[in-house]
Amino acid sequence: MFTVLISCKKVLDEPAQGVVSSEDLGTPENIDKMVIAAYSALGNDHYTSPYSSMWPYGSVRGGDTYKGGDGPGDLSEFHLFETFSLNRVDNPLLDQVWFRLYVGIGRANDALKRVNEISDVDFPKKAERQAELRFLRGHFYFLAKILFKYVPYLDENMEKTTYNTISNRALPDAELWAKITDDFRAAANALPESQAESGRVSKFAAKAYLAKVLLYQAYEQGEDHQVTSINASKLEEVNALADEIIASGKYSLTTDYANNFLATTQNGPESIFAIQYSKDDGTPKGRLDYGHALNYPMNQEYGCCGFNIPSHDLINAFKTDVNGLPQFTTYNNVDVAANLDFKSSTFDPRMDHTVARPGAPYKYKTNFIFQRSWSRAPAIYDSFASMKETVLPEDPSFQKVPPFIGSSKNWEIIRYADVLLWKAEALIELNRSLEALPLINQIRNRANTSTALLKMADGSATSNYNVQLYQPGVNSDWTQAYARAALRFERRLEFATEGYHFFDLVRWGIASQTMNAYFEIEKRRVAHLNDARFTKGRDEYFPIPLNQINFSSGLYKQNNGW
Amino acid sequence: MKRIFLFFVLLLSAVGWSFGQVRPLSGTVTDKASTALEGVTVNVVGTKTTTMTDQNGQFRIEASTGQSLKFFYVGAEPVTFPIDASTRNVNVQMDISSNKLEEVVVTGYQTERKKDITGAVNVVDVADIKDIPTGNPTKALQGRVPGVLITTDGSPTGGATVRIRGIGTLGNNDPLYVIDGVPTKSGLEQLNQNDIESIQVLKDASSATIYGSRAANGVVIVTTKKAKNGFSKVDVNASTSIQNYATKLKTLNAEERGRAYWLAAVNDGANPNNNQIYQYDWNNDFTNPVLNRVLLPEFIDAAGTMPPADTYWYDEISQQSIIQSYDLSLSNGGEKGNSLFSLGYYDNKGIVKESHSQKYTARFNSDYKMLNNKLTIGENFSASYIKNALIPASDILFASLVQQPIVPVHTIDGGWGGPAAGMTDRQNPVRLIEDNRDNKSYFFRLFGNAFANYDVLPGLTFRTSIGIDYNGTYQRTLKKSYTSGFLADPANQVFNGQVYQGNIIWQNTLNYKLEKGKHSVEFLAGHEYIRNINQEFSASRQGLALENINYAYLNAGSTNTLNGGSGAAYALLSYFGKVNYVLADKYIASVTLRRDGSSRFGAENRYGTFPAFSLGWRLSEEAFIKQLDFISDLKLRYGWGRSGNQDIPDNASLSLYSAIYGVDPTWDFDRGSAYDINGGGTGQLPSGFTMIQQGNAALKWESLQESNFGVDFGLFNNKLTGSFDYFIKKTSDILISPAFLAVLGEGGNRFINGASLQNKGLDAIISYDTKLNDDLSLNLTGNFSLYRNKVTYLPKEVLASYPGNGTDKTILGRAVNSYFGYVADGLFTSQAEVEAAAEQPGKGLGRIKYRDLNGDGIINDQDRDFIGSNSPRYAAGLNVSLNYKNFDFSFFLQGLNVNVVNDFKTYTDFSSLWTGTNWGSRTLDAWSPSNTGSSIPALTLVDRNNEGRFSTYFIENGSYLKLRNLQIGYNFKKAFNMKIQNARMFVQGSNLFTIKSKSFTGPDPEIPNYGFPVPVVGTIGINVTL
Repeated sequence: MFTVLISCKKVLDEPAQGVVSSEDLGTPENIDKMVIAAYSALGNDHYTSPYSSMWPYGSVRGGDTYKGGDGPGDLSEFHLFETFSLNRVDNPLLDQVWFRLYVGIGRANDALKRVNEISDVDFPKKAERQAELRFLRGHFYFLAKILFKYVPYLDENMEKTTYNTISNRALPDAELWAKITDDFRAAANALPESQAESGRVSKFAAKAYLAKVLLYQAYEQGEDHQVTSINASKLEEVNALADEIIASGKYSLTTDYANNFLATTQNGPESIFAIQYSKDDGTPKGRLDYGHALNYPMNQEYGCCGFNIPSHDLINAFKTDVNGLPQFTTYNNVDVAANLDFKSSTFDPRMDHTVARPGAPYKYKTNFIFQRSWSRAPAIYDSFASMKETVLPEDPSFQKVPPFIGSSKNWEIIRYADVLLWKAEALIELNRSLEALPLINQIRNRANTSTALLKMADGSATSNYNVQLYQPGVNSDWTQAYARAALRFERRLEFATEGYHFFDLVRWGIASQTMNAYFEIEKRRVAHLNDARFTKGRDEYFPIPLNQINFSSGLYKQNNGW
Repeated sequence: MKRIFLFFVLLLSAVGWSFGQVRPLSGTVTDKASTALEGVTVNVVGTKTTTMTDQNGQFRIEASTGQSLKFFYVGAEPVTFPIDASTRNVNVQMDISSNKLEEVVVTGYQTERKKDITGAVNVVDVADIKDIPTGNPTKALQGRVPGVLITTDGSPTGGATVRIRGIGTLGNNDPLYVIDGVPTKSGLEQLNQNDIESIQVLKDASSATIYGSRAANGVVIVTTKKAKNGFSKVDVNASTSIQNYATKLKTLNAEERGRAYWLAAVNDGANPNNNQIYQYDWNNDFTNPVLNRVLLPEFIDAAGTMPPADTYWYDEISQQSIIQSYDLSLSNGGEKGNSLFSLGYYDNKGIVKESHSQKYTARFNSDYKMLNNKLTIGENFSASYIKNALIPASDILFASLVQQPIVPVHTIDGGWGGPAAGMTDRQNPVRLIEDNRDNKSYFFRLFGNAFANYDVLPGLTFRTSIGIDYNGTYQRTLKKSYTSGFLADPANQVFNGQVYQGNIIWQNTLNYKLEKGKHSVEFLAGHEYIRNINQEFSASRQGLALENINYAYLNAGSTNTLNGGSGAAYALLSYFGKVNYVLADKYIASVTLRRDGSSRFGAENRYGTFPAFSLGWRLSEEAFIKQLDFISDLKLRYGWGRSGNQDIPDNASLSLYSAIYGVDPTWDFDRGSAYDINGGGTGQLPSGFTMIQQGNAALKWESLQESNFGVDFGLFNNKLTGSFDYFIKKTSDILISPAFLAVLGEGGNRFINGASLQNKGLDAIISYDTKLNDDLSLNLTGNFSLYRNKVTYLPKEVLASYPGNGTDKTILGRAVNSYFGYVADGLFTSQAEVEAAAEQPGKGLGRIKYRDLNGDGIINDQDRDFIGSNSPRYAAGLNVSLNYKNFDFSFFLQGLNVNVVNDFKTYTDFSSLWTGTNWGSRTLDAWSPSNTGSSIPALTLVDRNNEGRFSTYFIENGSYLKLRNLQIGYNFKKAFNMKIQNARMFVQGSNLFTIKSKSFTGPDPEIPNYGFPVPVVGTIGINVTL
């Protein structure tokens, strides 16, 4: 009787509101938008577990910086990274960064599957977009690889229903590397030499990333993460790729080192691959660099949150000797960071591009002097700040996102200086050290000439600078061992606080000795490192997050030592 | 479904009627208080002619002169009324004092006498809660109904959480509310408490299943007041209350904060003067440190605007304030129709400054009889308008704990004080209040139905009802620019948003009652259709020239123009039928069948069928019990039923993408899919699509099966009455969206029917009612309930998303909300103990010792185990009321036995977890070589021992016993010569005292962490009925 009143079939057909199904995304226009969505994963970085910025994993763990913040309890997960000995398999932020990387991989795979299925006729950019997506996927896998070593590899041809059958050990170390290099090789083959849209990756960006990935692979590791051999053919390929990039003439070192860390000069000649951030773009707060949102000082102009504080060790490393060269082994003997004496010794100017210290201008602004009161917990982390990732309050890219601080300044993943030093590194390990010399000196020369912005209000130099080039037989003895030490030190200074130092140490096989030596001295300076200890054969990589082992019902295997 | 209807049609045609040759009589039966009695049996003595009174106490019967009518009502002495030639109207009063079993109860599209009820149903004594000025009837019910756990806080705007018989599902556990027959999932906070005539709680599936789809968490039935035929009256209630913030958390003052910092630094062997605020005059001897004086700077900021203060932030943000409550109701009942009109106003200024809430309510309930009283057309309609403050109360309360006392409220030039160097980056809570005081939300809700009842044939009634439950919220807020210590935001912003949502509910029922000799049968068949829509939009702009709420409209903004909006919809379609059968008032049976369809499930699984039955045996009607004088009433009940749950997002069965241009990533990762591919750094961006979920076409109804065993009794002429119920509730196919293997990436979340839960428990209520003499009567009502809850099944692949280690220690067999963590085994008190203990990074004197559960000599994640749950062990309540002449006195005690997680210990007990915040006074009693009896870890600035890890250190006994209400009233109606029906004055207090466990270290275990504190309230008020 009531059934005639309402036809039950129809009334329960409520169309979904405000969403779209997978089938509706198959048009060329929407497929192109899915490529944008994959790029967008680069910019979705976040301070809780960054991945476009690697500071908690590469700078904090590499001894460049302390975690900072209010104390060990503030983002305590990073404190566990910093001390190694306290890190745990159930550290929730490990699980989170793992997930975020697979979000990026997932977006690339999703778009790639769609691009593969559409014809060239309907989608003339097919090959180019495939190459871009493989670059992006390679990037996310590379990060997962250097953080976790063994990760499950999933590509666009696998059904999601089979994902739970793929172990993180399905591919041995070398094969997993090979998958990642395959993506960059494919990208390098199909990408155009330059892109009208500067956010899109180009052929040389892919070649540069390929060189980076090959360089990491060249130092072959055993199950205990120790370097067992160095693969010369891979080094040769690194060298060749670097040559191609150099020969292209598309890139050069910026005249002033500072230009790599200013929004006004972003996407400049040195930038090979950078995360593009934006503001006033119609999104609620702007697509800002949230990976560094905690890394500003605690003053009224900023106000949050005092993370990523340069260590004394790093600051001391910028000290140069009477010859204007770094002090490879003795730099830490005098703690200039403790006595804040930057006049009686000499320093590499890159220090004042990298480190904010009491009494010195913050970010090149002569009437904006960093104060001890700007630091958050000086009793624990002392009173310095990192500056490469920050911008001035009046910079057009600056954007407060209370309580945090953001900017639309791009973040460099690969700059040309890296290419030069990879080539130098490959040459040194190929026992062609002398060929590496001009490359390293090119970097040092640029450092030496980058002092225009490092001035006090009265025009005097912020610190006492002295950087000289390596002159074999004059101020140095350019053996392979010496060249290796010089290269490694140069990388640390050039890329200080940029997020990859720890991964350099692991690649070189010296993480354990370097970090334990660092802790031995540094813990006498700051109390929070008291229990820090690097366990050789374990701490080179994070553990596979316990959650993932559990979710895979034990299919995933834990890393050595965990 | 068609079969059921056919069955009814056949049944109707099989029944015939006989009509006598006598004259019609009508009348009304009331109790001594002139309240109409429904369900009184009226019998013409010596014949089989019998009828029952309706809800207005009215009856019609045919009899001849010389016969007598006899009125039966259980628990009351029968009344005989002889009929003479002049008798037209028969008005009878019956004495039903001390007879709660006789109430008529709404139990699901129909009414039943309580004595016929076979499910687990509690009737709330609305009179007990009538004058409690909580602004939300649900809050006033806290602890009064066994098996119903209500948790709430002291916010003037705050709702209450209602959990009936444990945690039955892993999603939404809110019950269904049925207000005047209209179902809704919104609570009662928008109602005028004094409009409520009665509240019933249907706790078990056998009684709730008739409400089907959304009844699995229990049903709260609310009936609002109607005018009564033949009565017209005016009710006025007014009360004013004063409320206070009862117990504030004890934090350090400025000097103590300095001292605690010094202690912590000295314990670390660190220079205490290496901080930016406090300096110390001390002996510089770390082995035997002596502090002479804490030195305060002239200003705490470099700019010299903030001299050191000694601010107790809780005092600055709180206030003694007023609650006002007024309502007026006019009702008029007549032969042809009844109408009631009421207005209410409730105003609560809150114990946190500017947490003001105002509620305006209006109700119009009316019905009109026509076609010889065969047709009744009526409506129940209420409108509520609520204006709520939009201050960020939880931020304010938290900031009051963590903001340092040395920070002044204002700078010397009248600006805002705020955190200085080295302090936590939390806001000045007073600024949060002041800068948001003009920001309000405006909420309206229209709720009610229009209905028609038609008596098709005697005993056969058709009812149709169109209900509406629609609400809207409008917000316009201004975020002001500010500078407060090192926190500053130069940008202002106006935000404007509107949300509209609601249901249309169409119900049709056919009800047939038949009495034949010893048999009484009632049939119900019905249909219900619900459609819900939800839509919202919002916009904001920045760059306002004036920071004034009267200026702050969107048009006034000039920069950063943003907008957003979304919508959702679902529909439910249901058919149901019920048969109640009573044999000789002794044997009772009831069968229910309901079939529900929901648009949320895939096409194949849209419908679920939910049956129930219940049986009752009124032992007291049996001869062998009747011999026992002390038993006045005794009934055994058993019920079984299944009910459903569809509480998942509207599109949960579909795989979907969303165009997410941008989200606010302040607190969480951006899920957006736009990217600055041009490298321009600004302007409109190209954007893609984000996968938001994986579909599951096989998704189906979650279902709950419950068995209920009950006994109702009345002893000693019903002086002592009560009920005991034992239940076993099993929920299966629970709709969950478990965490998933991370490689699935974004949108890997997917709803499945994936878990089973079991709840077992009992609830009991006992009431003792006695009249000691004509002037003095006493009622004691106690209730007690407990339940035990456990997870009985989870698919292996989702186990890891619940507490446990994912392998050998899992949630299976444990309470849903179990805690998993380390066992804190006290503090290390000697170096020998430190050395003997398992390897534990950071262990040391005065540090927390964690137990090596697996005995492998090292403390790591393998040493975690289940360390309790938040399920209450039991809950109890006791209401005592005493009437002496014109005085009434009552009080109500409520208790709960439970463990809670006291997260605030992070701040009250540790100087190391958040070094820049203020800390609790407890830190002054921390362990030290000279204070070895303390259980509070030694002060340090560096948390080397990872003491913030979740452990038993943070779990405390949160049990409490509260005096919820104490009330004294005096009725002075006799003082007036006018025809005043009632004139009562009362004073009462709420939450007057709390007894808590000594081991609970916070101020109030009811609000162990971040909630709005429950105030102590004193009220004076009047009730007048003209």
